[in-house]
Amino acid sequence: MGRFLVRRLLNMIPLIIGITFLSFLVMSLVPGNFLSTLKLNPRISPQVIKQMEAQFGLNQPLMVRYLKWLWSVLHLNLGISLAYRVSVTSLIGSRAVNTIILSACAMVFAWIVAIPIGIAVAVNQNSIADRVLSFLAFFGMSVPNFFLAFLMMWLALQTGWFPIGGTYSVDYNTLAFWSKIADRINHLILPVFVLGTAGMAGLMRLMRSQILEIKNAEFVRTARAKGLSERIVIYKHVLRNALNPFVTMAGYSLGDLLGGAALVEAVMNLQGLGLLLLDAVRQLDIYLVMGSVLVGTILLLVGNLLADMALVAVDPRVDFSSAAQQ
Amino acid sequence: MKVNHRVNRKFHAKAFPIAIAIAALAFAGGCRVNRPKINHAREQILYDASPADPRTFNPILVTDATSGTMIGDIFDTLIRVNVKTLLPEPGLAESWDISPDQKTITFHLRHSLRWFDGAPLDAHDVAFTMKVIYDPKIPNSIRPSLLVDGHEIDTQVLDDYTVKVSVPRVFAPLLYEIAGLPIIPEHVLGALYAAGKFNQTWGINTPPAKLIGDGAFMMTNYVQSQLVQYRRNPTFWMKDEHGGELPRLHGRIIMIVQDQNADYLKFLSGQTDVYAPRPKDVIDLKDKAAALHIQVHKIGIDTGELFFSFNRNPKHFVHNGVTDPKLAWFTDPNFLHAIAHSIDKQGIINLCFHGLAVPAVAEISPANKIFHNPNLTDYDYDLKEAARLLEARGYHLIRPGVRADRHGNPLIFNLTTNADSTERQQMCAILKQDLATLGIQVNFRPLDFQTLVEKLDSTFDWDCILMGFTGGFEPNDGADFLRSSGNLHIWYPDQKTPATPWEAEIDSLLDQGTTVMNPLQRAPYYWKIQQILHDQLPIIETVRQTRYAAWKDSLENYQPTVWGLYKPEWIQFKAN
Repeated sequence: MGRFLVRRLLNMIPLIIGITFLSFLVMSLVPGNFLSTLKLNPRISPQVIKQMEAQFGLNQPLMVRYLKWLWSVLHLNLGISLAYRVSVTSLIGSRAVNTIILSACAMVFAWIVAIPIGIAVAVNQNSIADRVLSFLAFFGMSVPNFFLAFLMMWLALQTGWFPIGGTYSVDYNTLAFWSKIADRINHLILPVFVLGTAGMAGLMRLMRSQILEIKNAEFVRTARAKGLSERIVIYKHVLRNALNPFVTMAGYSLGDLLGGAALVEAVMNLQGLGLLLLDAVRQLDIYLVMGSVLVGTILLLVGNLLADMALVAVDPRVDFSSAAQQ
Repeated sequence: MKVNHRVNRKFHAKAFPIAIAIAALAFAGGCRVNRPKINHAREQILYDASPADPRTFNPILVTDATSGTMIGDIFDTLIRVNVKTLLPEPGLAESWDISPDQKTITFHLRHSLRWFDGAPLDAHDVAFTMKVIYDPKIPNSIRPSLLVDGHEIDTQVLDDYTVKVSVPRVFAPLLYEIAGLPIIPEHVLGALYAAGKFNQTWGINTPPAKLIGDGAFMMTNYVQSQLVQYRRNPTFWMKDEHGGELPRLHGRIIMIVQDQNADYLKFLSGQTDVYAPRPKDVIDLKDKAAALHIQVHKIGIDTGELFFSFNRNPKHFVHNGVTDPKLAWFTDPNFLHAIAHSIDKQGIINLCFHGLAVPAVAEISPANKIFHNPNLTDYDYDLKEAARLLEARGYHLIRPGVRADRHGNPLIFNLTTNADSTERQQMCAILKQDLATLGIQVNFRPLDFQTLVEKLDSTFDWDCILMGFTGGFEPNDGADFLRSSGNLHIWYPDQKTPATPWEAEIDSLLDQGTTVMNPLQRAPYYWKIQQILHDQLPIIETVRQTRYAAWKDSLENYQPTVWGLYKPEWIQFKAN
C-alpha cells in the first residue's frame, strides 16, 4: 500500500510539469499577449504598454517565464493576475470554494436521484416506468445546460419562488448565521438542479445497463437458488458488482468540479471560477489560467488516485500489486 | 410470500428517489429567508448592474471602462463637463481664470473641501496628482492626454486653494483633459508613492474603507463578481438650489451580472432600477412599460463609430519589390466609392439593430453637437452606381460573377472583424453578399479580438476590417487615429511623412484645431477633417445605434444622456 502510494505520487510530478508546460506553451503561441487589447485604446501610448510588459515580465523568453512561474509555484505563490493585479490565489480561492460547493451538490443530487432510479428501471425492465424514465433521461441529456438555466431563471422570474441568479442576496452581510446558510442554499437550488439533471441522465442509463448486464449472471442465479430474498440479491450481489465503473467515475468527476459549471455560472450569475477562467483564457491572463490549470490538474490526479484506492476497497478482485503495475 | 415481496421491493425502489425529492423540496422551501422585500425607494438606494468586475480601484491606473465607472463617484475632478451642453462647469474648483494669452489657467479650489477621512483637500493634492501622472515609472492612460507636443504641463501651487497650470502654447483640449483628471489624496498616497509602491496601491483587494476619496459616494463593500456597495458622502461639497445636501440617494448598489440576459431579467423583476436596453429589448420593454411601471426613452445616437477600412500599408503589400495589386485597389478612390455605394445601411439597421440605428455619415457622431459635421451627403446604397464606378476605372467583369482589375487580377480580398460581436459579423455577411453581386469575392473570417489587434498593430496582415471606436467630446482625443504618424492610424500607421496630400492636410488641421480655445471657432477644423475622410474614404462609415435607457417610474431626476447622467446627484426615489 505504502509503496503503491509513493509511486503514484512520484508519477504525478512529471505529469504536472508536462501539463503545465504544455498549457504555458499553448498560451504563449497565441498571437499577442494580455496587453494587446490596450493597444487600440487611444489614451494608452505604446511606451506605457512597453512599461507594463516589462513590469509583468511579458517581454522575457518563454522558458524563462515558465521556469520563473514554476519556481514561484514551488514557493506556493501562484503569481499575479495581469488583469486584476492581485495575487492569483486571492482571485481563485473563494471562487473555487463556491464552484466546488455547487458542483459537489449537483453531483450528490444527481447520484442520489439517478442511481435508485437506474436500479428501479433495470429491475422493472420494459415496464411503463422504465420507458417513461428512459425517455426523460434522453431528454435531459439532450437539453443544453445553459438553456435549462435560462428556463429556470424565467421560472424564478414568473413565480418569485427562487432568486434570479446570484450567489447570495444583496443584504447577505446583515443576516444572522443561519439565515446566511439558508440564503445560500436558496440560491443554490436552481443551479444544482440544472447541473444535476445534466449528469443524472447519463448516470441513470449507466446504472441501468450495468444492472441489466449483471442481473442475469450465473452468480445471481446461484444467489436466488440459495433462497436469498430478492432485495438481498439486488442490493448485495447485483448492485455491488455494478458499482465498479461508478467508483472510477467519481474520481474523474473530482477533476470536473472546477470547470464543469462554467456555463451555468455565467447564465445564473454565480460567483465561481467558470467565467473568471473563460475571460482569463480569452484575455491571455496567463498566470490566472496557469493557476487554475494547476489546481484542476492536481484535483484530477488526486481524484484518480482516490478512485483507485476506493476500487480496491470495493472490489476484492483488484489488488495493489496489479494497480501498481499500471 | 413472493407476491408480497415483489410489491415491497417495487415500492422501496421507487419510493426512495421520490422521498428524497420531497425532502429536498421541503428543505428548499424552508430555506427561503422570510424577510420584508428590500424597498429601494424607502431606503433611497439605487440598484444598477455592471457586466464586469472592476480591475483596480486606483483612479490613476485605470485602463478599462468598468473600473472607471465603479470609482467614478468616489473621486471628483477640478472641473466637470455638463453632459447636456458639453461645456465645462465647476467641480472641486469653484472658478477658474484663463490668462489673456490663453496659456495659463488659474483654478480656485472650494474652501473646506474634505477627504472621506476628514483631512482637508487642497492645492497640494492637485500638484501631487500631476506629479504622479507624469512619473515615467507609473504607467497610466491620463499622461498622453496631458502632454502638449510632448511637454508636461507646468503646475504651480500659489496658495492652499489656488493652482496655476501653464502650457507652452495655446492648447484647446486643456480644460476637457483636466475634467478627466481625478484628484488623489497626498496625505494617504504620498508615502506609498515615495516608497515606490504606487503601482500596487488600491488594487481590488483593498478594503473599501481605505479608499479615501472626495466624491459623492464612498464604497462600503465589494464582493468579487457579485456587487459593489456605496454610501453617500455626508460631507460632499455640492448642495442643491435650496442648500439641501447632495447626493439625494442614500446609497448605490452595482450588481455584477456578466450575462446580459440575466441583467435584463433582473430589471424585469425589479431587482435593478435602471437598465440600458439592447435594440431587441426596447420593443419588449415598451410593451411592458405600463405593467412594470417603467419609463423607456430614446436618449440619443451612439457617440462612437463603426466603419469598414481598407489596408493601405505598403508593409503588407510590398514584398521583395513586388507590389500586391490590392494596394492599388485599396488606394483607388473609385474602388472605395464603389464599396461605399455597396453598403446597405438600411438593411444593416433593420437586420442587425432591429431598426434602432441611423446611417452614419461623418466620422464624429451627431451626439457631439459642436464638432459633428452635418453637411456631408451620404453615399446611397446603389449597386448600379457602384458597378458604373468600377467599370469607369477598368474593373471589368471577366466572366459572370468575377470582376478583375485592368491587369486581369480578379477582385478578391479578405474581410475580418472581432468574433465576439454578432452584429458586426452580420454586417460583414451583408457586405460580402452585396459585393458578390458586383463580382467582388470577399473571404470573410471573424477573428478573436487579441489576434485582430496583433494584425492591426504589429503584423499589418489584413485587407479589410470592420471595427469600431468609442467617441469622446474632445475631438483631439482621436488625434492618434487621424494623424499619419499615429500608431492607431490603422490604415497605414506610423508614417514618417504623410503618404498622401490629404493625410498631410489632416495632420495640419489637427495641429490648428488645438490652437484656438473657443469650441465654436475650433469646430471648422474638425468639420474639414470629416469632409476629407468622407471624400477619401480611408474609413467607410456604416451606422450608429440609437441608444435607449429604461428606469423605474419611481425615480425622480433621472436624466440619462449618451454622454452619461445629467446631474446624477439630484436623482432620488419619489416618497412612498
